Amino acid sequence: MLGRIIRRLRTLAGAGRVDEEIARELDFHVRMEIERRERAGMTPADARRTALRDFGGVGRVREEIRDTRGMTFLDSVRQDVRFGARTLRLSPGYTSAAVLILALGIGANTAIFSVVNGVLLEPLPFRSGEELVLVQHSALKSNRPNAGVSIQEFGDYRARLQSIRDLVEYHSMSFTLLSQGEPDRVDTGVVSANFFDMLGIRPAVGRSFIDADDDLGAEPVLILSHAYWQQKFGGDPAIVGRALEMNDKLHTVVGVLPAFPQYPRENDVYMPTSACPFRASAEAEPQQGHRSFAGLRVFGRLAPGASAERASAEVAPVVRSFEADHPQAHERTRSLGFAGEVVPLGEQLVTGARSALFVLVAVTLLVLVIACANVANLSLARTIRRGRELALRTALGASRTRLVRQLLTESMMLAAAGGALGVALAWLSLDLLVGFVSRFTPRTGQVDIDFGVLVFAATASLATGVVFGVAPALVARRDLTRGIRDGGGQPGGVSAKHRVRSGLVVAQIAVSFALVVGAALLLESFYHRVTTPLGFETEKVMTAAVFGNFTTQATPADSQRFESQVLAALRSSPGVRAAALTNAVPQSAIVPGNLPVRLEGFDDGSGREYQADRNVASDQYFETLGVPLLAGRDFRPGDTPEAPPVAIINQSMAKLWNGADPIGRRFTVTDFDGERTFTVVGVAADYRLYNVDQEMIAQYYRAVSQAPGAGSRVLARTDGDPLDLMPIIKAAVHGADPKTPVEELATIAQVRGSALLATPGLTAALLGVFALVALVITLAGIGGVIGTTVSQRTREFGLRMALGASRGAVLRQVLRQGIVLVAVGVSLGLAAALAFGQVIAGQLFGTTVTDPSAYLSVALIFLGAALLAALGPARRATAIDPLMALKVE
Amino acid sequence: MARTPRTDLLQGTLDLLILKTLALGPQHGWGISQRILQISEDVLRVNQGSLYPALHRLEEQGWIAAEWGVSDNNREAKFYRLTRAGQRQLHVETQQWARITSAVARVLDAEFQEE
Repeated sequence: MLGRIIRRLRTLAGAGRVDEEIARELDFHVRMEIERRERAGMTPADARRTALRDFGGVGRVREEIRDTRGMTFLDSVRQDVRFGARTLRLSPGYTSAAVLILALGIGANTAIFSVVNGVLLEPLPFRSGEELVLVQHSALKSNRPNAGVSIQEFGDYRARLQSIRDLVEYHSMSFTLLSQGEPDRVDTGVVSANFFDMLGIRPAVGRSFIDADDDLGAEPVLILSHAYWQQKFGGDPAIVGRALEMNDKLHTVVGVLPAFPQYPRENDVYMPTSACPFRASAEAEPQQGHRSFAGLRVFGRLAPGASAERASAEVAPVVRSFEADHPQAHERTRSLGFAGEVVPLGEQLVTGARSALFVLVAVTLLVLVIACANVANLSLARTIRRGRELALRTALGASRTRLVRQLLTESMMLAAAGGALGVALAWLSLDLLVGFVSRFTPRTGQVDIDFGVLVFAATASLATGVVFGVAPALVARRDLTRGIRDGGGQPGGVSAKHRVRSGLVVAQIAVSFALVVGAALLLESFYHRVTTPLGFETEKVMTAAVFGNFTTQATPADSQRFESQVLAALRSSPGVRAAALTNAVPQSAIVPGNLPVRLEGFDDGSGREYQADRNVASDQYFETLGVPLLAGRDFRPGDTPEAPPVAIINQSMAKLWNGADPIGRRFTVTDFDGERTFTVVGVAADYRLYNVDQEMIAQYYRAVSQAPGAGSRVLARTDGDPLDLMPIIKAAVHGADPKTPVEELATIAQVRGSALLATPGLTAALLGVFALVALVITLAGIGGVIGTTVSQRTREFGLRMALGASRGAVLRQVLRQGIVLVAVGVSLGLAAALAFGQVIAGQLFGTTVTDPSAYLSVALIFLGAALLAALGPARRATAIDPLMALKVE
Repeated sequence: MARTPRTDLLQGTLDLLILKTLALGPQHGWGISQRILQISEDVLRVNQGSLYPALHRLEEQGWIAAEWGVSDNNREAKFYRLTRAGQRQLHVETQQWARITSAVARVLDAEFQEE
């Protein structure tokens, strides 16, 4: 039995070889026969002629052998394919339309799948990536989901956690590296010595960090990323052993990483913990407290048999014990409510991307559904037109199964061609998509059109071919016998088939209606985002990041000197109307997190705890932005570190005093670094600091002059061209300290455009493109269905016009068909749109999922477009010459 | 061909003949047809159009096996031989054939007596 199966498979696989064997076998027979006849006395010519005659046709014998050997299936498939190719070539319009529509559908899905595959499905590119976990701290009462881990806490975890082994810490810094004269700001990962060993990454050149590198006071060493090594040192292996200047110290390069996606982010260089001056100084002074340098991320590997849940259960009591074991360190911060949990690293890295990808997957699947329905419709119409041909082939002896298979083969060929073109489209659009998704997740390094994606595309094409091929094939199967009797032009069951086609069009209308409504809602939201007033000036204000050089600004006094010099230089420059320092660049999506606030002498008895956002600003901050000060005063030179802390609050915070004048009142804030009591000196108007769709929340501003080093962003306003401010800002900063780099120069309008509008803009644009594709495909479908009806009813229309029906009446009748299709489709589409709206609800702004105006306008668009699509066939109907129409058949 | 009256073989009979011939030893297609012709004293002339499909069908059923070898006159030829399953099948078919021929003979006898 098994032998037979193998033999049969071999026959199927090597049909050509078997054919050749049969030919050789029969050839041998004929030769033997000729020789026998020659021996019997025939002339060679006669022997040959009679032998061949008596044999009776080598071809026929071969056919018969083939029939017994089960080659028929593959042969007939080959025959179907050849025939299919011929018929498809004969109708280039149908073929190219179907292939193009399928390519759009399959291409969109392939592109999205490659992203989903790379971001969500593929394991982290580390040894046993599924074991990697992140230990996360949160400060519940200050609304900080990620409060970071301190050096001492990390030490406790290393000593106490059983279910996580190989714990490592990570934090990122930005340092200035002096290699060949030019100062270069490098993204630096500061890691435990066993960081790369834990991840299973071996350096491409040189060595990894060793435990001794972590010791305080060890010689500083660096590992370069592959990209930075290529870009700055041309991939020179002699880099190992070279000393590079960084933070006023020489660092020896010990290794280079392989070309590999890095997590948690792409850094230029890596250093061990001892080489980071901030971390080292915090570790050297343990009296700074248990929460010192609380900015570490902690990763590890689950011990064999441990789960993230079990590790979480183990972490929770450790976190609680921090406060109990170090009461002094937590005396001032215990009210922040620390908690800890363990999450799989893979999950944590993609949480942001999930919802965006979900929307895209939903949208592209809908586009594929529409594409399938449309091509099914096209090929159904074509099958109806081919009724005569199919009926003739039945009459000539082709089995119905065989004909159905022929139709399915053609569908599969179209789907395969569409799939191939779709993969090309996906490949072309991949960069755009990766750019989009990288806003939500660092895990885009593995997105590629790889083997898995190709398998997906092939499967999708196959499924598509079956889905859109089945309807016409079934119709054909039912009709074949009747077809020839009816003369074949329009085989029986016209109305049933018409119902199928109308149903398909209605489905397309419903689905694309949902997509277009979704796109309309997103576009409307985008419009609102762009046009909603923010409450401050965006065009004329230039911002720059000035992360002070900490070696030249080592003390608060240095920072203060630097800051006042920069501000003075800016304000005396021509064209600068106002200038300020702050940590809060409007619209830069930096949310500082809010803190519990106590209002002094103002207990309303409710026991309610207030929250407010902490910001830092210099004098002229509000003037620079054009935000009016409603009461009180701006910061002034007298607000020094020695003076009592002062704050300017916004209107929303002023309301906490229940209508009383807040000026001169005091409030107390608890933060990681303890309690601080401020006196309110001014009230500024509310404005949308972070984000256009933020709620107005309570905010207060400390004075930069009382918190030196906390304001690392420059703001400058001009009445002229803001671009003129760029050299002015650079000159002012470098005049105060030539070693401080000036980065991220941009107007607030640009910051807003790149950081905040790009994502909703791109989402709306992507959905808009998909919706447009769906709309065009659907309109083509409507036109197609109505067009077929008109040509099928040519005689009827002719007859009616001959009997006196006006052309207008015929026109109206055809148009009515279009309107009915749209009406049914749109009413079903309403439900679909409401369902789809839930998917994008989180991204709407200034509108809602049930916004009636969006639905109404999209419905009108569909109606108008459908009328337009029906107009062509309708005019054809009215142009029918009654006499000709009656003669047609 | 016209001189010798042609005897059409019953369906299944050809299979039996092929199996029986191959029971005498491996043989190629032409050899099989020649041997049947010789042994039947030029009565059973096997039509090539039936012989080769039958050979392939029997191979498909696993009763005979084929391999390429060299013929007496040094040509490459496809040789068939009986498999163990084929030997069993030959036994079964031989018994069947005997039953049928004796049954047919009895019928013919009876007809003769009545006349």
